[in-house]
Amino acid sequence: MLEVLILGRGGQGAQTAGNLLAQAFYSDGFYVQTFATYGGARRGTPVSASLRVDAEPIRLRCDIEQAAAMLCFDDSLLDENFLRRANSETRIVVNSRQSREAFSSLGDYQIVPIDGLGIARNNDMGTVVNSALLGAFVAVLDQLDIETMCRVVLASAPVKKEQNVAASREGFRQFQMTH
Amino acid sequence: MNDTTNRQLLSGNHAVAWGVKLARPDVAPLYPITPQTPILEKITEFQLQGEMEVELLTPESEHSAMSACLSASLTGARVFTATSSQGLLLMHELLHYAAGARAPIVMFNVNRTPASPWGFWPDQLDSLSQRDTGWVQLYSESAQESLDTTVQAFRIAESVGVPVMICHDAFYVSHAVEPVDIPTASQVDEYLPRLERPLRLDTALGQSFGAPIDQATWNRSRREMAAAMDKVYAAVVEAGTTWNALCDRQYGPLEHYRCDDAQVLIVTMGSMSGTARVAVDALREEGIAAGLLKVRLFRPLPGPALCEALAGVPCALVLDRNYSPGMGGILHQELKAALYGMADAPRLHGLLAGVGGVNVPPGKIQQWVTDYREAEAVPEAIWVE
Repeated sequence: MLEVLILGRGGQGAQTAGNLLAQAFYSDGFYVQTFATYGGARRGTPVSASLRVDAEPIRLRCDIEQAAAMLCFDDSLLDENFLRRANSETRIVVNSRQSREAFSSLGDYQIVPIDGLGIARNNDMGTVVNSALLGAFVAVLDQLDIETMCRVVLASAPVKKEQNVAASREGFRQFQMTH
Repeated sequence: MNDTTNRQLLSGNHAVAWGVKLARPDVAPLYPITPQTPILEKITEFQLQGEMEVELLTPESEHSAMSACLSASLTGARVFTATSSQGLLLMHELLHYAAGARAPIVMFNVNRTPASPWGFWPDQLDSLSQRDTGWVQLYSESAQESLDTTVQAFRIAESVGVPVMICHDAFYVSHAVEPVDIPTASQVDEYLPRLERPLRLDTALGQSFGAPIDQATWNRSRREMAAAMDKVYAAVVEAGTTWNALCDRQYGPLEHYRCDDAQVLIVTMGSMSGTARVAVDALREEGIAAGLLKVRLFRPLPGPALCEALAGVPCALVLDRNYSPGMGGILHQELKAALYGMADAPRLHGLLAGVGGVNVPPGKIQQWVTDYREAEAVPEAIWVE
């Protein structure tokens, strides 16, 4: 079973990203379960989404304690508390303009910074970073076809459909070019 | 899955809304509250899009919502509402009222911690503390079960003449998006025929409800409620069997998972049942003959069926995601009462597991089974982590 955590701030689209990833895996024939935990979250406060993917129906109804991959929408959220659910094998994508070295003090983690904001702006998406980050995350996961992800983004984006897809593709390419 | 199956990714709450849409209620008084609100939002969306014909009422509180449910139901209308936690607690007075009037209202409650302190986490104290109001209570583990049980609840409520509350846990079910098979409208129409209600508010009939009565009549009303409650177990069995014939998904008052030769049973309700299945499989791999007894029907408590399921099993662990101060876990308390005096009752351990929504992964359940399966039982509940 693949277990993924997504962390963002209320309003950034972390929950939506979890749903879109779930749809993409589901359309590739997997069973999925994604849930948000937000309590009294408001815009700007930390929210998280969990995603499980498996070939069998998913029965677990509990938190993910150790994630295989993480997507973090805001580098100020990438702290010890969040990283307790990661290990040295966990692939972590973080929305940040900082270099990979800037995160080395956090410990032995595979952290991939992606400039989601820059990609969003390049593609006329303003500050909406989730489609760009999803593209990069698909590349890091290496278990999902970017074309599947783009189809889901195209079908789900309420506005700027083509721009959202372009941002996903650029996020995907940016990770591939740097790795 | 055949080609005509409509399988969609739905959250537990949206699955409930689908169940409601298919059940075609006439009236739905609703008031929003986290984490129930997506049920209200989806029903509102269905109505706006013309996919659902229902009179939606949005009164100023849950107390008024349940008042509206009661009066609408007594006219003979099919009625649905949904709430959670503080909202359910605010309805408390009207829950007694509706049950006493034998109004077959169906309500969905999303289990959430009651204040104070303020929280939004999965814990079943909100609905369990309504256990004496006269509502049937069913607990669901998944989005699919929540959809199916919502439809079944109307059949149970209307055939027996009692209100039915269905519950699922906050976030782990309410906000968990997963594949759900949606039945067809014709399947549900066949399953839920409109029944004539001889007693109803109708100006042509001139009957009334809730008039002041003497002691003996109040006493008789409770005896009649007791007789109705006695019919619920069979109604839940029938609702599950008939549903299975239509949709090929089996439900009953209890579910037995790998119980046949079990030497230790985990007994729980709601979302923790799913995690417990994984724990049971892992324990079996280790050579421990564990099983899960899932309590789906909590009120009326299926006492004889519970006794039968637990007879001769050496040990059972009750996992309660709730805490009754001064007593312990409520399912543990109820099971002790049900098993009282039984010669071959198991050693019963009451574990307060996941109270307040604390995470309960399968490894913890496995550890508790290992720790307690040989231990002497104590009457008190045990806080576990």
